[in-house]
Amino acid sequence: MPLLRSYTPHYFSIDDIMATQERLPCKFEVDVLRLGEYCRNQAKIIMSNTTALKVAKKSFLDPSSDDEDIKTGTTLELPYWLARALCNRNRSIVSVNIPRIYKEAYREILKAEASVVDLHRLCVYFYEFGSYLSGFNHRDSTEIGNLLVQCFKDRFRLIMDWAQNSSGDTSGSGRGAGSDPTARLDNLERGLLITGRSSWEALEAWLSQGGGRPIGPANMVVNHQKRQLANASVS
Amino acid sequence: MMDPAEVEFIAEKQMVEIVPNFNFDRVYLISGEIGPFRAGLPVKVPIWMAINLRQRQKCRILVPDWMDVEKLEQAKEDESASRYFTKMPSEHYMAEAQLILSACGEDVPRADEIRTALKDLWDMRMSKLRSSVDTFIKTGGTHARLDHLTLMEMNSVRPLLPHALDQLHRLSTVRFVFSPLVNSSSCFDMHISILYYCFWC
Repeated sequence: MPLLRSYTPHYFSIDDIMATQERLPCKFEVDVLRLGEYCRNQAKIIMSNTTALKVAKKSFLDPSSDDEDIKTGTTLELPYWLARALCNRNRSIVSVNIPRIYKEAYREILKAEASVVDLHRLCVYFYEFGSYLSGFNHRDSTEIGNLLVQCFKDRFRLIMDWAQNSSGDTSGSGRGAGSDPTARLDNLERGLLITGRSSWEALEAWLSQGGGRPIGPANMVVNHQKRQLANASVS
Repeated sequence: MMDPAEVEFIAEKQMVEIVPNFNFDRVYLISGEIGPFRAGLPVKVPIWMAINLRQRQKCRILVPDWMDVEKLEQAKEDESASRYFTKMPSEHYMAEAQLILSACGEDVPRADEIRTALKDLWDMRMSKLRSSVDTFIKTGGTHARLDHLTLMEMNSVRPLLPHALDQLHRLSTVRFVFSPLVNSSSCFDMHISILYYCFWC
């Protein structure tokens, strides 16, 4: 079994990219000229030389307005990476509002009984997005940070139980009709569940099979042999 | 983390007594010398050698003292009476029993009862481990004592618990990375990392 590393976000990690893609409501603090619906086509033409910027322009667009500019006070849902760039200490073009699921009402639900909440439905990257949000200089930031830790602690038992009872998926705790209860886990928790489950299965197999099993060749050796065979047959 | 087979490999280095039915000189190995073998006289060898000799009908394995129904029942009682983990007769009791019983189960009297007793003991300890891991995470404990926990049992929580502690550590530090207001959170985190280290190594 290979050495398993736990998940840490890095530049190329898809999960991290997806998590920063989550949208959050932002209010414009200044007029943003010529980025409304009206001049979408022009913006496209101007920006067509860089694809990345084109995408950015598109998300700037407010499809509901007929105006050429985005007026002060307009509220739009921007992805996190854009909001982060537009709202910091040097530049505050927008002011960030916390998404619904991290607000007081939902926080109370999670505090009351975190283990029954369907996190996957709330947000697939609940913990990742939440920890990014707590980086904003918002009055709820600390609260969100604490919430994530508490929520993770409360739900850990659930993950551990599911990881160690892999066969009993549909029993008891599934609330939806016949649905897999593990569908209620956020992406981070699901990763933990999968690694936990695979190691538990290995242990169970060992316990039931007994000691002194014949030892097979390592994966690497098998693959190497296959490759050699393939090379030989090609040449 | 380790594969159970790797833990088993480590357990195979434990010594066990055998009665050989052949004569042979001392064997010199990197891990030490073994023998000399005299037919009919008990000698201590590592489990891997004992099993190999047994498979070739060259010896009879003398089952370790603790692999006995009465002693295991006693251990079971102690285990259920204590809140903590009790000391097991062997560092690798589960792996050793699996190896010896599968190699020469027919030689051991009441092998099935031994197997059941061991399984009970194992289950009891696993449920204890599971609930203590749970309380450890829930209460945000900073350290845990793992006295008398065997390698195989420790390995059973291995990728899950360290990874969970990793994520917990990340979630509790991440906001200080972004915001300039760093304060004294790192004491707790440091303890978590130390514990994590214990499980990892």
